[in-house]
Amino acid sequence: MSVQLAAFLLSLVIASPVLGQQYDYILKGGHVIDAANKVDGVMDVAVSGDKIARVADGIPADQAKRNIDVSGYYVTPGLIDLHAHVFGYPGALWPDDTQLTTGTTTVVDCGGSGWRTFDEFKETVIDRTRTRVFSFINIVGKGMVGSEAENDTSDMEPEKTAAKMAEYPNLIVGIKTAHYARKGYTALERAVEAGRLSDKPVIIDMRILTGYDRTMERIFEIMRPGDLRTHSYSDHQVEILNRVTRKVQPFTREARKRGLLFDVGHGNGSFVFPVAADAMKDDFPPDTISTDLHRGSIFTTKADMPNVISKFMHFGMTLSNAIEKSTVRPAKVINKFPELGTLGEGRVADIAVFKIRKGVFGFADAPQRRLMANKKLEAILTIRAGKLVFDQNGLAFPEWETAGDYRRIPTP
Amino acid sequence: MLSSKKFLLILFLALTLPLAAQDTDAADTTIYDLLLKNGHVIDLQNNRNGRLDIAIIGEKIHAIGENLPASRAKKVVDLSEYYVTPGLIDIHAHFDQKGAWLNLNPDHNTLRYGVTTAVDAGSSGAKGFEKFKEETIDKARVRLLAFLNIVGAGMYGKGVENDVAQMDVDAAVAMVKKHPNDIVGIKTAHYQPTDWEAVDRAVKAAEMSNSVLMVDFHPKEGRGYEDLILKHMKPGNIHTHFYGRLTPQLDENKKVQDYMWKARERGILFDVGHGSGSFWFRIAVPAIKQGFLPDTISTDIHKNSIMLPRAHLNNVMSKFLNIGLSFEQVIERVTVNPAKAIRRADLGRLDEGGIADIAVLKIEEGEFAFLDSGHGKLTADKNIRCMMTIRKGGIIWDAEGISMPDWSTAGPYSNFR
Repeated sequence: MSVQLAAFLLSLVIASPVLGQQYDYILKGGHVIDAANKVDGVMDVAVSGDKIARVADGIPADQAKRNIDVSGYYVTPGLIDLHAHVFGYPGALWPDDTQLTTGTTTVVDCGGSGWRTFDEFKETVIDRTRTRVFSFINIVGKGMVGSEAENDTSDMEPEKTAAKMAEYPNLIVGIKTAHYARKGYTALERAVEAGRLSDKPVIIDMRILTGYDRTMERIFEIMRPGDLRTHSYSDHQVEILNRVTRKVQPFTREARKRGLLFDVGHGNGSFVFPVAADAMKDDFPPDTISTDLHRGSIFTTKADMPNVISKFMHFGMTLSNAIEKSTVRPAKVINKFPELGTLGEGRVADIAVFKIRKGVFGFADAPQRRLMANKKLEAILTIRAGKLVFDQNGLAFPEWETAGDYRRIPTP
Repeated sequence: MLSSKKFLLILFLALTLPLAAQDTDAADTTIYDLLLKNGHVIDLQNNRNGRLDIAIIGEKIHAIGENLPASRAKKVVDLSEYYVTPGLIDIHAHFDQKGAWLNLNPDHNTLRYGVTTAVDAGSSGAKGFEKFKEETIDKARVRLLAFLNIVGAGMYGKGVENDVAQMDVDAAVAMVKKHPNDIVGIKTAHYQPTDWEAVDRAVKAAEMSNSVLMVDFHPKEGRGYEDLILKHMKPGNIHTHFYGRLTPQLDENKKVQDYMWKARERGILFDVGHGSGSFWFRIAVPAIKQGFLPDTISTDIHKNSIMLPRAHLNNVMSKFLNIGLSFEQVIERVTVNPAKAIRRADLGRLDEGGIADIAVLKIEEGEFAFLDSGHGKLTADKNIRCMMTIRKGGIIWDAEGISMPDWSTAGPYSNFR
């Protein structure tokens, strides 16, 4: 074993209290963005076990068993993707390889399971992923399994849905209604009723504009403050813009004033550049940034969290603001703040490290048009409950040539 | 000397051809669906290594050549900044996604990296293969092939994988013969008892089914690696994970063992199979410096290896490029060589009339770092990135939207569907 590796390993195992090494590791020198604590500048972040131990400028390196140099990078709370698909829906993805690798430590499955299938969801996905997974439970008992089931109002039972939610109050954070292609407001009303019974938010995705005798105004009347509309920047479902004036609809602003929330839910078909550009120009940014990432969109629009954030940055949103809409805001929406969405001392160490790359980059929207931009947010390193799970640039590890006949070098 | 008949024919053609070119009935009316312009094509099987255009019609490559006319194409993509290769082949992957927990979804873990053919390495055995085929292989957009595990139940942990009673040669042979288009061979893996049962049964099954064998081997007292590659395995068989820590490929002075060269001489193939445990810079670099390169570069991609070592195929290829293989050597090991290893002469090449499976790659320059299975880091200045993947003629991955029109000149484009 080389001297360097021996020193490296020794530095990992030396009993911490003796030398005052009270932290497991410190992320040194990164630009921390933690809106909840009004931090937006260069700070060190110390982690002990699965918790954030300290956030401060210039924490002495010798107070930790290990230091990870993240200077030149941004350090944020692990992102929260309010609209993901990890169960039930045929396009569902495993979250670890698709979300943890993009700085996203918490995802909310958006309607994949209903009350009939939630237990299977929990057993096969929630309990097995390294990603933290919550559920917006589908008002349809069978979940998001195709149009026959999703249009069957007899399987939309608020009481049974609310009962399942009461069974898992920490995992089921709200109700989803989606893909309803029959006339009227039944699906929405049932979802809102389940929301009332459980005192949790409803997130809606409905094909509204034509054919189903629904109006946006009426939908917004049925929704309650704290309920969300996802797919906000699409142009084939509910429109937030007037197509002629390209200004935000008065009823859209009214809805926001009432406390209704507008989520991105980018996906394969629900984000088009002109709508996002015009809405941003008319001062209508999203409340929460989310992906709707699934097996289609991961190819077509590549809309993971850093990708969606990059697009909004191009249309004028600051990085700090985008991070707030991807951490604090979604945490509050699902009533998980301040447990999640912040780097507050004592909170769980879900941390993301990003880089802003400069150059010429191309991004795609739903109709497969290209946006050329000069900045791109890229995930560099992810920590989930104190454990390093993704490290694109090997920041936490030594050069192999200095490590001798190394066995598996421990992961922070 | 030309005969007078031939002379007259040539004279006739010379006089009439210019006329024929204007005759709409005789003109070439070919319309390309897609024209890939000016890429640096590396198609080693066909001795192509230079700037060429590729015209695609439907699922197939129609023409490969210089200066194919853009006026014939519905869509033209300028690839002058990139390399164009046959769709890559990853012969060691784990994609029986409804099977054991470690398996991944195939499509986004292949096609985003230019891989158009992946071979599942023994996730399923004779008992589970047809379920795997029905639920995953037949639905995948990537071409998914399989090594069939000699263990009937497949890769389901020590209990079954050490159980010789599970290794039914006849059942495996029958399954290979039943699905010759999907199953390329037999896999044995993870066997811990100190006898040769697993290897020998797998060798026998491969021989009886006239298919390829891939071996994952844990040497034991009395069941050594040298005997494996010199005596038990047959020419054309593949040893995977050969840069692994458990494989005694180097002596104490880091010299490549003589039996490695002997085995290579007798036709044993050495595959990378990176994974969570089987690629170490401290082993691979000295071996490569002595000229012991892999025959095939593959990932062993699964739910763990895709996280920290981040071993998707572009990552593994980049490691070899930075260690010192030429780009052509890397491409050879993910196209030509794996196609030969799995005896699929139709793959790993670009042929007029062949299925259009194509990768568009870029060598990025900058500061990059790569972790091996032991978390040793290689800081390096090159990174192989997949810019575009074409599968059966369709652009299925376009990393930067280079085939797309710009949004700002497209108008408000409401109701795009």
